Amino acid sequence: MAMNFLALMWALMLWTGSARASLPDYQTFPGDGPRLLLWVNAERGRAEPELEAARKLAAQGTTVWSLDLVGAYFLPQLPSSMDAVPVQDMVDWLDAALTAGKPATVYAVSRAAVPVLRAASRLEAPRRHRLCVLLMYPNLYASAEALADADYLDVGRLDGLRIRVLQPRRSAATPWLPAQLDHLSGLGATVSHAILENLREGYWARETPTEFEIAESRRMDALLLRELETWGCK
Amino acid sequence: MQVRTWRGWWAATLLACAQVQAAGLETRAPVPAPALQAVDLQGTPRTLDDYRGRVVLLNFWAAWCPPCRREMPSMERLRQKMQGRPLEIVAVDSAEPIEDVKAFLATMTLGFPILLDPEGVNTRRWKVYALPTTFLLDGEGRIRYVLKGGAEWDEGEALQAIEGLLSEIDKPASRVSGGT
Repeated sequence: MAMNFLALMWALMLWTGSARASLPDYQTFPGDGPRLLLWVNAERGRAEPELEAARKLAAQGTTVWSLDLVGAYFLPQLPSSMDAVPVQDMVDWLDAALTAGKPATVYAVSRAAVPVLRAASRLEAPRRHRLCVLLMYPNLYASAEALADADYLDVGRLDGLRIRVLQPRRSAATPWLPAQLDHLSGLGATVSHAILENLREGYWARETPTEFEIAESRRMDALLLRELETWGCK
Repeated sequence: MQVRTWRGWWAATLLACAQVQAAGLETRAPVPAPALQAVDLQGTPRTLDDYRGRVVLLNFWAAWCPPCRREMPSMERLRQKMQGRPLEIVAVDSAEPIEDVKAFLATMTLGFPILLDPEGVNTRRWKVYALPTTFLLDGEGRIRYVLKGGAEWDEGEALQAIEGLLSEIDKPASRVSGGT
């Protein structure tokens, strides 16, 4: 009886350990080309134009792993939910991508930048140097109150990580982009950026999108492909 | 399904804005306001000295920002309601080309000054991270209230706060101490 109980406990520990180290649930869009894009959706979840862009990228040869963190971990659609994502799962996911045989670029939107950067920070340095990270209007603030300096969340050191920030022009964060780039550089990352003119944050899923935003939503694959070809890991 | 999820998120955001309208006005210990160095639509330089001795509602906004546009009519109604009283409403457009500002103003008649901050210099100096953000300054140029998010400025808690600051000008002896 005691032996059975111990065996049960041992099995439970093994199961718990494997669950802790499991990969997050993600969708794969296989492409036959040489690139892998890890697409991490914002805290608002995955939107149809993003799925459509992933399909188009796959059709053009880029394999896409699409990860909706709020769906994968049953989290509320809040920025703070991203802080609750198990970082080790993300590390394992990035490791799996880096061993998949294709150069990997992560594309993370808004607050999803936080678990991605934390995981990148925990990678062994040679693996981190092989990774490229595209951040769409990253929200890295712990607090940002008027009249006070912003506090950034701790994501760890990012030495050798290549980061490119995509910043829609029509955003309250745009005037703060230089400060954010300085912050990432200070953590050791190699940083560049691109301003997306005439667009707002989350332009692919706005309640009242402009004609231009609707058109750009349909061209999201082209935007990402351009970034992958001109900047991403080759 | 996912589209519906996003719509739900935007709806929740709007609801959050509505809640801000009811209870978001944050009282601050009186502190001197940072410098404001902007130009109006005619290119004339403006600073807070231009409004010295008056209560100032200083609103940071952008034409692309739906809650900013939504609260503008209430600011205009407030201006009309307060004519002849020492209140100045000043709207600082944050980091936008003047063409975008003029295109918006063509859709709405506003009688208060619009200032331009095309490079976001004032936005950074006042440490504005969200739009709209509004500061209420007392007659001595000190920040007394901050609101992140939109409001109906001509009613409720917002109007009460403004009336409170105006009463300090009407009755100098009752001014709140603090700051410099």
